[in-house]
Amino acid sequence: MANHSFSEHHTKSLPADLSAPAFVDRWRSRALVIGCIFSVLAIILGFLSGDHWDHFLRAWLHGFMLCFGFCCGGMCLLMVQYLSGGKWGLIIRRPLEAMTRTLPLVFLYFLPVGILGMSFGKIYIWNQYADWATALREHLITNEEAHAIHFKHAILNPWGFWGTSLFVFFIIGTYIFFLNRWSLQRDADSAPNVKYWQTKFENISGFGVLFYSIMLFIVAIYWIMSLDPTWYSTVYGFQFLVGQAYGVLGLAILTLIALSKAEPIKTAFRVTEQHDMGKLCFAFVMLNMYLAFGAFLIIWSGNSPEEIPWYLDRIRGNWGVIATLDFVFHWLLPFTLLLSSDLKRIKSRLAVVCCIMIFARYLDMFWLIEPNFRDAARNLHWSFGIFEYATVPVALISFWMAYYFTQLKRRPLVATNDPHLAEILEPEHAHA
Amino acid sequence: MPVREGTYGLLAEFDTPSQLVRAAKGAYSAGYRRMDCYTPYAVEEAAEAIGFHRNTVSLVTLIGGLLGLVTMFSLETWISVWAFPINVAGRPYYSWPAFVVPAYEWTILWAGLSAAFGMLALCGLPQLYHPLFNAPNFRNGATSDKFFLCLESTDPRFDMVETREFLDGFTPVSVVEVEY
Repeated sequence: MANHSFSEHHTKSLPADLSAPAFVDRWRSRALVIGCIFSVLAIILGFLSGDHWDHFLRAWLHGFMLCFGFCCGGMCLLMVQYLSGGKWGLIIRRPLEAMTRTLPLVFLYFLPVGILGMSFGKIYIWNQYADWATALREHLITNEEAHAIHFKHAILNPWGFWGTSLFVFFIIGTYIFFLNRWSLQRDADSAPNVKYWQTKFENISGFGVLFYSIMLFIVAIYWIMSLDPTWYSTVYGFQFLVGQAYGVLGLAILTLIALSKAEPIKTAFRVTEQHDMGKLCFAFVMLNMYLAFGAFLIIWSGNSPEEIPWYLDRIRGNWGVIATLDFVFHWLLPFTLLLSSDLKRIKSRLAVVCCIMIFARYLDMFWLIEPNFRDAARNLHWSFGIFEYATVPVALISFWMAYYFTQLKRRPLVATNDPHLAEILEPEHAHA
Repeated sequence: MPVREGTYGLLAEFDTPSQLVRAAKGAYSAGYRRMDCYTPYAVEEAAEAIGFHRNTVSLVTLIGGLLGLVTMFSLETWISVWAFPINVAGRPYYSWPAFVVPAYEWTILWAGLSAAFGMLALCGLPQLYHPLFNAPNFRNGATSDKFFLCLESTDPRFDMVETREFLDGFTPVSVVEVEY
């Protein structure tokens, strides 16, 4: 008891009202306004570009993948924090749950990709030119593409695409349903039963993380990699997995920092946990670069004509500028900034790093998607179509954000039935 | 070096870190600057209380890391371009992607070594003799369960009688005079 004999070292208590502050409503209306403005711009550009809405649909795929990353990457990180435990996990739990509950909207975003992009063959050439022999004769596709479409038909066919996608959405939906439902039941339960819930969440999450990774690998192949049917890479799914965690962590920290202006997050979000999450960001910044550079180095040293064109498509013809910016925003800036331990402890500065990280995801997805198409490969050029990438994804993400904020308001912002709760209410240095 | 004689300082012993931090804060606001806290484990508040806000280990680590990076990258460039150029499957001599991995490894290695040895050097280690070990209660308690504040005699505010009275005001277990 002598430890508490002086100064401000007293345990805080949570405020009685744990619901989200009123300004979250303002965020939502702001997001809706931005979404509407950019939708109008996107439609105007769609008419101006005169490419039968091709770029609009590509940019839609771009926006869909980012929202899918926030929603389902959020689910993955939610399961990871159940497995790892830790105080950062408690404070980040409710924002992550709110991200996962946006799945219905993400599924709606998927439908145009599946129906127009694949079934009507607007962006996936393996279905557009399923009759590869004729297409080859008419010089619509190259020899390599014809060979790949023929050889990979067992996987790259409409049944496989729809079956896999719907199966993945169904499984993820089931997981999200139970993760959210049990989380509320756990809070309503009495404290002595925490052990039971912890075990239950650990069991579902351990299997879930593994299963989600496998499913993500497959849909990353179907939705993005198959845009160029000739290319293959075994590390592709990993890059999406790490990229999702990278973006989700940025968004979750940004949410907490913005919410910390008012109760209850003001009390619950200590600098210690903020610092921990900053360190986790740093780890993902490194892991992301490790995978991206590793894949590049292996393909560069192999220098095989089957693999290297994928990088040449993304480096030559001005694409090198985007690749360099991708490197700068994805790694160089966050890495050098996050090296400082002071920065991780100052909210306004950490928020800047999180914005850089989310922008990097956006830029990286552009670099992954657009050069797959023949008019853009090794040829980054200005057109109305290219500007679709600056409008459609922004609109999609804004509407997604509005839905996310709605979900954030649905529940108390802090999970209460957790032994870590007492710890995050302690003063920062409990030992002194 | 001539043998230093006289009083090194006054050493106050406390039972809890809170008492130590309170005394340290008091001494700092009373104008004492040449002083140090000795605890069995890291107490960040004690360091802050005596005005020790930052350490330069991170700067030393950064400089070490950058030196490692530049050294290895230059070494590889020199070897591949000038000293021993070899044509590897038609690639240019200056093939930077291949240089990245060793350069990265050296960054980590030099940063790690700089952190470890830089920390030791900044702590003034290795040190063969320290006057505080002349105090029996320091020898027995400083690494187990006692918390010490030493006000050193080189401080201009230091006065054998007044400083002892000042320290007694914080109700320490004991205040002992430490000789060089």
